[in-house]
Amino acid sequence: MALEKHDKDKENSGGGRPVAEKGEHIVARHLIEDDNIKEEKNLVIDGVDVSGRWNTFIISRVDSDFDRSFFEEIKKTVAGSRINRCWQCGMCTASCTVTPLYRRFNPRAFIYMMQLGNLKELKKYIDVAWRCVGCYKCSQRCPKQVNPAEMMEALALVIKKYFPEEVKTKLKLDEEVKKIYEDMIIGHGRLDLAKLHTSAMQKSGRTKELLGKIERDTIFKMAKDGRAFSILRLGKPHNWSRSKEAIENYLRKLNTIENGEAGV
Amino acid sequence: MSENILVIGGGPAGLNAAVMLSELGVNVALVERDSFLGGNPKKFKYKFLFPDMQPADNVIGELIKKAESGGNIKVYYSSEVSDFKENGKKFDAVIKSASGSETKTFDSVIVATGFEHFDPARDAKYSYQLFDDVIDIKDLERMMGENNFVRPSNGKPPKKVAFILCVGSRDRHVGNQYCSRVCCTVSVKQAIEMREHFPDCEAYIFYMDIRTYGFFEDLYWKAMEEHDVQIVKGRIAEITSGPDNTVVCKGEDTLLRGPFEIPFDMVVLASGMEGGPQSPEISSKLGIELDEHGFLKPENVTLSPFKSNKPGVFLAGACTGPKAISDSITEGAAAAMNAYTYAVKNR
Ligand SMILES: Cc1cc2nc3c(=O)[nH]c(=O)nc-3n(C[C@H](O)[C@H](O)[C@H](O)COP(=O)(O)OP(=O)(O)OC[C@H]3O[C@@H](n4cnc5c(N)ncnc54)[C@H](O)[C@@H]3O)c2cc1C
Ligand code: SF4
Ligand code: SF4
Ligand code: SF4
Repeated sequence: MALEKHDKDKENSGGGRPVAEKGEHIVARHLIEDDNIKEEKNLVIDGVDVSGRWNTFIISRVDSDFDRSFFEEIKKTVAGSRINRCWQCGMCTASCTVTPLYRRFNPRAFIYMMQLGNLKELKKYIDVAWRCVGCYKCSQRCPKQVNPAEMMEALALVIKKYFPEEVKTKLKLDEEVKKIYEDMIIGHGRLDLAKLHTSAMQKSGRTKELLGKIERDTIFKMAKDGRAFSILRLGKPHNWSRSKEAIENYLRKLNTIENGEAGV
Repeated sequence: MSENILVIGGGPAGLNAAVMLSELGVNVALVERDSFLGGNPKKFKYKFLFPDMQPADNVIGELIKKAESGGNIKVYYSSEVSDFKENGKKFDAVIKSASGSETKTFDSVIVATGFEHFDPARDAKYSYQLFDDVIDIKDLERMMGENNFVRPSNGKPPKKVAFILCVGSRDRHVGNQYCSRVCCTVSVKQAIEMREHFPDCEAYIFYMDIRTYGFFEDLYWKAMEEHDVQIVKGRIAEITSGPDNTVVCKGEDTLLRGPFEIPFDMVVLASGMEGGPQSPEISSKLGIELDEHGFLKPENVTLSPFKSNKPGVFLAGACTGPKAISDSITEGAAAAMNAYTYAVKNR
C-alpha cells in the first residue's frame, strides 16, 4: 500500500475543491474534542485520494487505563511526595486565590489527574496549570496536609517534561499577574509574598476578607516574628538602581522582540 | 433454682450473651444452626479484624473457648428451634437436632441469628460467578485466611486489583437501600493486607462515598498514606471480559466527568449484609417484628435497640442491622442483662 502525503493546499491554489476544517463534516462536532479527531488533510492511498473527511478517525473518549508509573514518578519528588494522601475533597480549590480568576485552574482536579496518570486530561490545561501564585492558602486548608501548593510546583515540572512543545506555544503571560510581579520587583527589588497575596485578593474584590480572622491572625503572627517587616528592614538590594536599570533594559528589549514577532 | 435462658445463634453476639449469662449462674441453651460456633467470622475464616488488625482468633476463638468450657452452657450444634410457644410469661421451645427433639421451658430468649452476605450473583452487572477473577470480600477473607491469595483463573498473583464498594447495598435495583456499614472498612483493611503482602500489586477502590465511620477512618488514611491505595470516584456499572484474561470495570469518573473501561487482574466486590432467610423465619416463628430492610425490628431503635416488640424476647448483633463485631458483642452483653432481669422478675 502506498501512502502519500502531499501539500494539496499549494497544488490546489489554482482553485481546486476547498479544503475543509478538521472534522468539519462530523455531525454533532461540538461533542468531540479536537485532540480526539485524527484527520489527514492530504492523504493518498494506492493512488486514491482520501484527503480530509475520507480518512477521519475519532479516537474513543473512554479512558482505558490508569498509569501508575506517573504517580510513582511524582511521589519520588520532594514537592510531590504527598500525592498519595489526596482524597479529592476540594478544599484546596475552594480556598485557592487563582481559581476565582481562572475557573479552569483547579488544584484538586490536577492532583487527581496526576494520581491516575491521566496525561490526556492534563494536557488540556497546559495554558492554566502554571498559574499558582504560591500563596499557600490551599496548603493551610488541606485536611490531609497534602501540601497542594507544592503539588502545583510538581505539576508545572511534569507539564514541562511531558509537553515541551505545547508549553512553548500555549503558555501566554497573564498581563495583570505579570504587572503585579513586575511592579513589585522593580519597585522594591524583592518579592513580597504578603503583598502578592493582598493584591490578588484585592484584584478579585475580596477586600473585606483581608480584615477577617485568618488574615488578621496571620498579620499579627508575621508582625510578631518580624516577617512582616523583613522587606522594609532588608531594604532594596545592594546597588539596586543599577540592577533595576538592567532589568528595565531587558524588559524593553523583550517587549520589542515580542511585539515584533506579533507583527505589531 | 437458677434461670433458664435460650440463646439462638452462636456468632459473636450470641456467644457473648451466653458467656455472660453463664457467669451469672444461668443455665443457657445455645442453639446454633451450623456444626460449629463463631458465626460468620468463623465460617468465612476472617483472619485479621478491623479496626486494629488483631488476629480474629483473639476474639472469636476466645469467645468459643469460653462458651464451650462454661459449665452452665449447653451448646446444641446443627440445631434449630422447631417450635415456639408462649407459656404465661415464659416460653416453651422445641430444640431439634440430629440426636432428636427436646422440649424445654425458658424464662427469656435472646435472638442473635446474625446476617447473611449479599450474594453478588443476584446483581448480574457484576458478572460474579461468570468470571473466575471476580470475587467478593467474603471470598477474599477466606482466601487470605487460607494464605491463598491468587487469581482464581490461573493461580498466579494479581498485579492490579479493583475493589468495588456498595455491592448489594444502597441500590434500589437490588432492593437494599441501606448502607451495610462494614464493607468500606473491610475493603480498605483488605487493600492494606494485600499491599503489605504483595507490594507490587496495585489497589484501586471505586467508591461513591467512603464510610469508614468513627475511628475506622484511621484505616482509610493508612491505606492511602502508607500503602498508596488509590481511590477513584464512581460506581461500576458493568464488568466485562478484557484482553489477556483481564476483567474490565466500566464506570464513570465522576470527578473528571468521563467514562472509563479499565482492565484488572482481579475484582473484589464489597458485598453488603442482609437479614438473610433466617430473619423472616425467626420473625414468624417467634412472633416478633421484621423491619422494612429485612432485619429484625427493635422495639425502639434508640432507647432499647436490644429488645424485640415481644416482652421476654431480646435481640443482639447483626440480626437487627449491619454492624461491627464490637457492637455485636456489646449488644450481646446488653441483651444478656435484659434477659436476666426479665427472668428474675418473673421467676
Ligand atoms: C466480609 C466481612 C468482614 C468483616 N470483618 C469484620 C472485622 O474485621 N471486624 C469487625 O468488627 N466486624 C467485621 N465484620 C462484621 C461481623 O461479621 C459482624 O459484626 C458479626 O459477624 C455479627 O455477629 P452476629 O453474632 O450478630 O452474627 P453472625 O456472625 O452472622 O452469627 C449468627 C449466627 O447465628 C446462626 N444462626 C442463624 N440463624 C439461625 C437459626 N435460625 N437457628 C440457629 N442458629 C442460627 C448462624 O449460623 C451464625 O452462626 C465483617 C463483615 C463482613 C461481611
Ligand atoms: S490536596 Fe488536600 S485540600 Fe486538595 S483535594 Fe486533596 S486532600 Fe483536599
Ligand atoms: S498556593 Fe497556588 S494552588 Fe494553592 S491556593 Fe495559592 S494559588 Fe491556589
Ligand atoms: S459501608 Fe461503604 S461499601 Fe458498604 S454500603 Fe456503606 S458506603 Fe457502601
